[in-house]
Amino acid sequence: MSSVIETRDVSKHYGEGDTLVKALDRVSLGIAPGEFTAIVGPSGSGKSTLLQLMGGLDNPTHGQVHLANKDITQMSGRELSDFRRDHIGFIFQAYNLIPVLTAAENCEYIMLLQGVPEAERRERVYAMLERVGLAGREGRFPHQLSGGQQQRVAVARAMVSRPDIILADEPTANLDSQTGSDLLDMMHDLNRNEGMTFVFSTHDPMIMERASRLIRLKDGCIDSESEREA
Amino acid sequence: MGITGRLALRNLARNRRRTLLTAMIISLSLTALMFTDALIQGMTDTMVRSATRLYSGDAQIHHRDFLARQDESRVIDDPEAVLEQLAREPEVAGFAARTLAFGMVSSAANNRAVQVVGIDPEAEAGVSKIAGAMIAGDYLSEAGPVTQLLIGDRLAELLEADLGDRIVVSVNNQLSEAAEQQLFRVSGIFHLNARAMDENLAFIRLPEAQSMMGLDGAVHEIAFNLTSASLATDTSLGLWQRLSNDRWVAQGWTELMPQLATMLQLTNSSTIIAGIVLFILAGLGVINGLFMSIYERTYEFGVLLAIGTRRRQLFKLIMTEGLILALGAIVIGLILGVLLITWSASVGIDYGSMEVSGVALAEIIRPQHRFMQYSALPFWVLVMTLVACIYPAIHAARIVPAKALHKSL
Ligand SMILES: Nc1ncnc2c1ncn2[C@@H]1O[C@H](COP(=O)(O)OP(=O)(O)OP(=O)(O)O)[C@@H](O)[C@H]1O
Ligand SMILES: [Mg+2]
Repeated sequence: MSSVIETRDVSKHYGEGDTLVKALDRVSLGIAPGEFTAIVGPSGSGKSTLLQLMGGLDNPTHGQVHLANKDITQMSGRELSDFRRDHIGFIFQAYNLIPVLTAAENCEYIMLLQGVPEAERRERVYAMLERVGLAGREGRFPHQLSGGQQQRVAVARAMVSRPDIILADEPTANLDSQTGSDLLDMMHDLNRNEGMTFVFSTHDPMIMERASRLIRLKDGCIDSESEREA
Repeated sequence: MGITGRLALRNLARNRRRTLLTAMIISLSLTALMFTDALIQGMTDTMVRSATRLYSGDAQIHHRDFLARQDESRVIDDPEAVLEQLAREPEVAGFAARTLAFGMVSSAANNRAVQVVGIDPEAEAGVSKIAGAMIAGDYLSEAGPVTQLLIGDRLAELLEADLGDRIVVSVNNQLSEAAEQQLFRVSGIFHLNARAMDENLAFIRLPEAQSMMGLDGAVHEIAFNLTSASLATDTSLGLWQRLSNDRWVAQGWTELMPQLATMLQLTNSSTIIAGIVLFILAGLGVINGLFMSIYERTYEFGVLLAIGTRRRQLFKLIMTEGLILALGAIVIGLILGVLLITWSASVGIDYGSMEVSGVALAEIIRPQHRFMQYSALPFWVLVMTLVACIYPAIHAARIVPAKALHKSL
């Protein structure tokens, strides 16, 4: 099966001359549908940079990123915005949510941008918030939710717009291990039952244990790769 | 409400103190602009009225050479015809003929060079404020003795003269070309609250002045008021032509008092400059307030962009925040402005006996409402605020999501 995302010889350099940092150095990687992949490696090895490039948040110094068979490095700003909106879900380490929007509104936001009709939006939001265990908390603002609940809303927001892939950068790093484990179980469940593709960057052994594929980065290069039966 | 409006409103409500402070900058600028305009209006009006309605009149008719040469032989020798024409002009509210003589007044103690003015008491009362400015004795009357003389309080002090005291007035007789002296008695003392007038004017009755000067019914000046003071600056009125001929000329106060006209123009331009400075300061305040709120939200904007918000939509969000802020602030500014102008107009601002370029602000100044304070001024404040928003909004729209999210990603 073809890849959801494919990076070809992607490099990202920061700075220049003496201060040149090769955050990523010629990384080629394909993510197949249904993967539950963890990118691991020491701090500064380029995990976040790789996720950013895969999600079109920045342009690589060279190389290409293909998403849904399109080279996103060639897209205009607006095309790329719409592409991210329709094809990629993001979950960050913390502060994912817009503080002035309620849990339901945060989830609804992307669908508003997509032009999904109101009735459908509501239905999908409520179903998804229930799915992540937040039924009855739809009207709460982020500051009225615990860290774990906020991350669940972030997962719901990423899921509800029905992207091809969810890129999650250390989603459990700010949570205690029980809450992190619950969140991970939930995402694992979404992966197995709804077939959503997940790519994580993480230091968290729990994610590594559950991952179907482990990619180790070192100094901006793929150091080793291993696959595991789910 | 659309998502942009909802986000904008809630974002403004987020840091209430900063929103309020930024709004205050806008509101108070508007209030200050409104009040300044109202004050200038009131002041101009008062100044023009003090300058014209105290004594000179809105306009005057002289022999064409009289003012330039200060030559007392250049007279209007047929005043009746001019006065009849004035009576026919609908825009003319009152008129009075005068003789003007450079003369000398002497008391037992002192003498002073002054302008001796011959007036027709009844007609004069319809043009100038002398009749109402008497602080001692009485205004001139037809019935009274020929020796009636009015002087200002400052002149009375300089002459050490009091009511009933004898004063010798001497002027030039145009026929004999010699000095003509006559004895008068101080019958009234006036206070116009304008130094130049209270010190340098002496009034006697017109017939006595004419006979002393040997003028035989001729006058030097015919002063008149218009139904509205602003008509005096309207050069398109037909009456200027009708009241002028090859010998005499009718002129409004802007021509008669070019210094005052220039000064009012200067006041206007300095108001405009002060307004522009205020605009720039307020604009910088708005830019600063918005930038602070944008820097605080850089990460959040990174998230919004990452999940698919277009840059244009982010720009629109910041502009909407600015628009809501501006509209709210303008409403507050308008209310404050109306209250301040209405209150200060009812109380009045007393400049005491301050004189501006020789003209006394004799009356209490009452700031005036006018339409542009409620239309053009708020409109420009709105434009200023939106212009000030553009820079921060562009800045927000240009955020690179990867950089903004660097802390997490
Ligand atoms: N915007 C940037 N400007 C300059 N250097 C950067 C920037 N972003 C990342 N880097 C550098 O690129 C390298 C890779 O950074 P990256 O954030 O991808 O690492 P990481 O594997 O996610 O680390 P961590 O586990 O600490 O999150 C680092 O050396 C980092 O300092
Ligand atoms: Mg990282």
